Amino acid sequence: MNLSLHPLIMLLVFPGGLFLLASGLVFQWADRKLMARFQNRVGPRFMQPLADVVKLLAKEEIIPQGVHRGLFIALPVFALASALTAALYVPLFGINPSFSFRGDLVVTIYLLSVLTISLGLAGANSIDRFSLVGATRTMTQLFSYEAPFMLALIEPALVAQSWQISKINAFAGETTWLILAQPIGFVVALVGLMGKLELPPFDAPEAETEIVAGALTEYSGRGFALFRLGKDIELVIGLTLVAAFYLGGIANLLEFVLKTGGLLLVMALLQTAFARLRIDQTVGLWWRVGALMGLVQLLAIMVGVYIRQNMW
Amino acid sequence: MPIEKSDNRFIVPIGPQHPALKEPGHFEFTVDGEIVTAASVRLGYVHRGIEKGAEERTWTQNLYLMERICGICSHIHATAFAQGVEKLAGVEAPPRARAIRQVFCELERIHSHMLWLGVAAHEGGFDAMFMYSWRDREIVMDMLEMLSGNRVHYSANLLGGVKYDITPEMITRMQPGLDYLEERLRHYLEVINGDEIFISRTRGIGTMTREQAQRLGAVGPTARASNYAYDVRIDAPYAAYAEFPVRMIVAEEGDLHARFVVRILETLESIRVLREIYAALPESELTARVPRRIPAGETISRVEAPRGELFYFIASSGGDKPERVRVRTPSLCNWGTVITLAVGHKLADMPMILSGIDPCFSCNDRLVTVARNQQTPLIWSWADLRNHGIEYYR
Repeated sequence: MNLSLHPLIMLLVFPGGLFLLASGLVFQWADRKLMARFQNRVGPRFMQPLADVVKLLAKEEIIPQGVHRGLFIALPVFALASALTAALYVPLFGINPSFSFRGDLVVTIYLLSVLTISLGLAGANSIDRFSLVGATRTMTQLFSYEAPFMLALIEPALVAQSWQISKINAFAGETTWLILAQPIGFVVALVGLMGKLELPPFDAPEAETEIVAGALTEYSGRGFALFRLGKDIELVIGLTLVAAFYLGGIANLLEFVLKTGGLLLVMALLQTAFARLRIDQTVGLWWRVGALMGLVQLLAIMVGVYIRQNMW
Repeated sequence: MPIEKSDNRFIVPIGPQHPALKEPGHFEFTVDGEIVTAASVRLGYVHRGIEKGAEERTWTQNLYLMERICGICSHIHATAFAQGVEKLAGVEAPPRARAIRQVFCELERIHSHMLWLGVAAHEGGFDAMFMYSWRDREIVMDMLEMLSGNRVHYSANLLGGVKYDITPEMITRMQPGLDYLEERLRHYLEVINGDEIFISRTRGIGTMTREQAQRLGAVGPTARASNYAYDVRIDAPYAAYAEFPVRMIVAEEGDLHARFVVRILETLESIRVLREIYAALPESELTARVPRRIPAGETISRVEAPRGELFYFIASSGGDKPERVRVRTPSLCNWGTVITLAVGHKLADMPMILSGIDPCFSCNDRLVTVARNQQTPLIWSWADLRNHGIEYYR
């Protein structure tokens, strides 16, 4: 589906900007509600995420002693901005990406990591001990899931012979769903997304029973709200990417809702089913299993592509 | 802002206010990266002066005060106190009263262990288990409410007996609940024995050998998980445990996983013994008469609380108020194990090791003032100490 709107509107209202923020909140609500229902709880009301954001924005932001003030204020903005920018290259809501160029997949993956790096920096910026431990864990986790997650996103690109998200999306829509051809890549991508978003069982960087809120312990008010929003948007983008690459592409709004919703359901189930992994177990799992699985899949694809090019 | 740097140690403080703690306590874990190299504990944030308060109240009033030492094992405190006073007065509670006491004890154990199961799972980030076990715990809370009208402080005990009778209708109404609980607990046992991630978080973590358990003075399920077979219900039966005995539950491993298994098996054992009591509840009066003034003397009273051995020392000077009531709660005995076991483990294991002993902070807090700036070191005799105590509290 193609949309011809003024670029500014596309950037600020739809599909980027306001609409994206709103959809981030909806996805956060759906995630929390699904998890609550799986855990036999009632869960939040529909407006709860919005109410949280409004409340946090209205609160006084306390800048603790011992931090670099500029960084403390800038990092949440930077994190949210990078997430919002990444959304421009992704086929959100089944609409063709607002902006697109050759190699935008690499830029998107990079922009998605900026949020995590900002999170780690925000923790390291503080002198709070929980923040420091949280920042160390955030960075450690970044280095563990990033490579397998990247591999899992690059594999569809290899098959589609393009580094452009919109082209991969179109390719995935034409062929059989890639989840059937590359099941390992799909699993790695979905679980990698959970690691990226620090969702259970990969929530060691913000394990509340150990280090309170991890890197974000010292954040209150506006900064905290922006980081939360950034994560919500990253959830939307991540689900869209995985759905577009592995679940046969996203061509219209209905497909978007059904496919990302289905993925969210699976993710909420996975979040409920496991106990929290220790950070060393997370790293071990990713490098011993995740990266290996990603490489095996990559090898299989390379052999497949080679055979196809030389035999036919 | 200059950052004060005392030495190169990196200490992670947990508490007195921390999301992992449901009650205030202060723990300092010195970490090297993620590895804990030293641990210390500081208690005393919720000292309530109950022991002193007991000296100001009559024997009957004290029964209610003692019940309020703990909000989870309330009945067992009242039982320990009542049994001690009965021993001093030379009265024995009638058989039916003793059996009903045991019913409350075991129901309390079920609800306490299920509460612990949820809390410990939550500390490990396994919130689904937390939510489900607390939901199922409501069944046993409903049973307690049906029996006594209260969910937390049942106040079932009287000096010389119990307040509430258990009718055959109540027993019929409790049966389906017990069946359901048993089914659920077997399911939880399957989960903790089968879930790979849960096992990786608990097996081999905080392992305590039998010798360590003995040396550190561990009690209750914490000790029994280290193959230290010690249970007051079996070694020195009270209430009706002689007529309706429970089996000793021990495990070999001594790690966190063993503590989960022992507690769940104990809960199943409680359900079994409850069924036994319900089938053969003895017929008798509910209370025996206890005089208002208790004859002078001293006694100790030991019971098995859900967390381990609960110890009461009661002294009477022949009046209508106790001379001294000393309570030693099981959590106090188990703290040493936490501090010892913490060293060498990862910071992420600390909440689970901490909750592995099922700590109860408010019931073990004692007030100790250390006068560090004393000019001359004094050696106080027992009489001096006693006089100082009387003067201090006057």
